[in-house]
Amino acid sequence: MASKDRMMVTEPQEPRAPGFIWPAAICFGAIFLAGILAGYSKAAAEAGKATLAPWAGPLIAATLGIAGLFFYFRRHADWFRALSRRRRRYWTALGLAAVIGGIVGVWASFDQPANRGAIEMAFTGSLSANFAIGASLFWVIGLLVSMIIYHRSIDDHEERAWLWAGLAGWYAFIFPAPVWWVLHRAGLAPPADAMLLFVLSMVANCVVYLWLKFR
Amino acid sequence: MNNKLKVLRAMRNWSQAELADRLDVSRQAVNAIETGKYDPSLPLAFKLARLFAMPIEEIFDDGFEG
Repeated sequence: MASKDRMMVTEPQEPRAPGFIWPAAICFGAIFLAGILAGYSKAAAEAGKATLAPWAGPLIAATLGIAGLFFYFRRHADWFRALSRRRRRYWTALGLAAVIGGIVGVWASFDQPANRGAIEMAFTGSLSANFAIGASLFWVIGLLVSMIIYHRSIDDHEERAWLWAGLAGWYAFIFPAPVWWVLHRAGLAPPADAMLLFVLSMVANCVVYLWLKFR
Repeated sequence: MNNKLKVLRAMRNWSQAELADRLDVSRQAVNAIETGKYDPSLPLAFKLARLFAMPIEEIFDDGFEG
């Protein structure tokens, strides 16, 4: 007699979506490795021995981290392939942007002296030329590639949200910038702060995008 | 603009996510159309019409009575 189990029809199972624990562990591992390499370099410098190039540690850690994520997501290739072309592009663009952001963030933290506060580290502290050039290249090339993929993946609704968000960001720049400039020339305000105007523009852009996309 | 998207979707027992997959748009786009917060582009409106096998003007109503 056939067992009950053998009589049961097995439904085809949907490919399992990747979880967040392993990717998070891989990212933390890469950051930890970057920290070990930075510590090694610092100890070698103090001992008067040859040190790693400033970019070598972050590059090794980022390469291993990306390789780890690649192999993890390859295990879930069926899930990825089952997505529509639009969603595949969407997740590829977001993944790429996250990896680039992670690399630049980790590199920034190891590029600076350990005794710096968070504000100084993020906004005001001086940076090395290696990091500045590397981060600029990552930013421009990475953003260019991921944005091309991203904008090919978004639907009409999201495109509309971005168009209004872009306009809001533009207005958030062109309204205050000339006002601040003339007020400064009249001695009524400090010199215009380009970074503050940039942040204001980004905040307006972000608020409008989130409102139109998710309200 | 009013539309019958929610009713048509419910008649087929589809979730917003299922309809979004069939249209290859995000779930937020379907929700925004259903709640009247967003009017779809002409290509998306045609896609909806083809999916439900109905003329566009039977799905969407601009309130004009000529």
